[in-house]
Amino acid sequence: MNKNAHMIKVENVDKFFGDLHVLKNIDFEVIKGEVVCVIGPSGSGKSTLLRCLNHLERITSGKVYIDGEMVDYRVGDKDAMKIDGSKVTEMCSELGMVFQRFNLFPHKTALGNVTLAPMIVRKTDKQEAEKKGMELLKSVGLESKRDEYPARLSGGQQQRVAIARAMAMDPKILLFDEPTSALDPELVGEVLEVMKKLAFSGMTMMVVTHEMGFARDVADRVVFMDDGSVIEEGTPEEIFGNPKSKRLKEFLALTK
Amino acid sequence: MNLNMLLLLNEGGKLYQWLDSYVNMTKVSVFARGTLVTLELTLLSMLLGTVLGMLIALGRISRNKILKTVTWVYVWIFRGTPLLLQILIVYLAIPLMYMDFTGMPLRIDPFMAAIFALMLNTAAYLAEIFRAGILSIDKGQLEASKALGMSYTQAMTKVIIPQSVSRVIPPYSNEFIMILKDTSLTSVIGITELYREASRLASGTGDWRMVFIAAGVYLFLTTISTFVFSKVEKRTSRYL
Repeated sequence: MNKNAHMIKVENVDKFFGDLHVLKNIDFEVIKGEVVCVIGPSGSGKSTLLRCLNHLERITSGKVYIDGEMVDYRVGDKDAMKIDGSKVTEMCSELGMVFQRFNLFPHKTALGNVTLAPMIVRKTDKQEAEKKGMELLKSVGLESKRDEYPARLSGGQQQRVAIARAMAMDPKILLFDEPTSALDPELVGEVLEVMKKLAFSGMTMMVVTHEMGFARDVADRVVFMDDGSVIEEGTPEEIFGNPKSKRLKEFLALTK
Repeated sequence: MNLNMLLLLNEGGKLYQWLDSYVNMTKVSVFARGTLVTLELTLLSMLLGTVLGMLIALGRISRNKILKTVTWVYVWIFRGTPLLLQILIVYLAIPLMYMDFTGMPLRIDPFMAAIFALMLNTAAYLAEIFRAGILSIDKGQLEASKALGMSYTQAMTKVIIPQSVSRVIPPYSNEFIMILKDTSLTSVIGITELYREASRLASGTGDWRMVFIAAGVYLFLTTISTFVFSKVEKRTSRYL
């Protein structure tokens, strides 16, 4: 397999929060076009792994590559490569991120949320950004809400706007950090529907989730993490149908 | 500014004389003049203080150790010493110091000195208000901005600061009122603003009512300001 086929590659990554060892020698990769779901109990390091990819957290040691380019290389909490701030922001704009708590900009309308970053980061002109923004809102089924402020939208609608906002930067990969965990149960479906559509369109996705149904139906590969380590990975059939490790079996029994 | 023009009154004119038969127009003019000076002092020092306060707030929350320390010391000094003394330092002590060191005289216009001292003082308080406003914004907003590829400056100017405006207005309004009242302290360096005009009238004519009229004017100004700020607050938080 050639190196460039890796959209994400993580090598020997360790992460400490003080004395707490949250990621333990992680090796992890996502191939172009792949949908990878990361599952595991709370506190297993799934979200931290995701957040280390776009510098929202800094790894303590190890290497991170995005689309073949090294974006972080640290040894014992020290940069082992020169970190160029503008390069990091540029790299971030290629990694779309969807947060558990949406993090929409409350002072902007739905359309304003989608067009803000293209306009100020990519200097796209307003007309063009809005045209594309409307297409994206349409693709998440919210073109009628273009002028609503986030406070007036339901959680499910907010998260769909957040997905459109992430897509507006034409990311190479979308990262989802428990995108449905903060939603009322009846609103989960509409968000998963949008994510499914994206997955089938060939988008590379890394999804940290508790939605086992989604992982089973949509993922190309499922990664099970526990206590800061990758315990097991495989196709959904392997993970859900034939779990090997004791911890995965226990976890699946609990989530049934 | 010619105040008689402003009031559309001419001292010798008919209207003036007619009004003068009901109220003492000389006293009214004096009060109006003092009120204008008070307003000028307030507005100018708040305007300049807002800019300086914002810069200091950004310094306070920056990760640069030197900036952090310098701005911390600034706030420490200006909040920890009396405004009255700060006014004297700017107007009196600094020119004398300059003279001691260089042997050359330095003349500072009292009005400029007053504005400058008020600005320096309010900037320290405003910096803390702005800092609290910025820190009160959920950190998910900065993360979302970063994840979309915005630089720190872009995230601040387009996402964080716009959201903090409506939260900052109530304490800002409070500081505005404080400065409005504290402009009276500039009378010590000879600024004839509202307080000084009133006290001169009162002691000159023995008319004790002058003091209460001044109080009424201050109350009127602070009430109007509070009203305006609460309107602005409503406007800026429409999206919530």
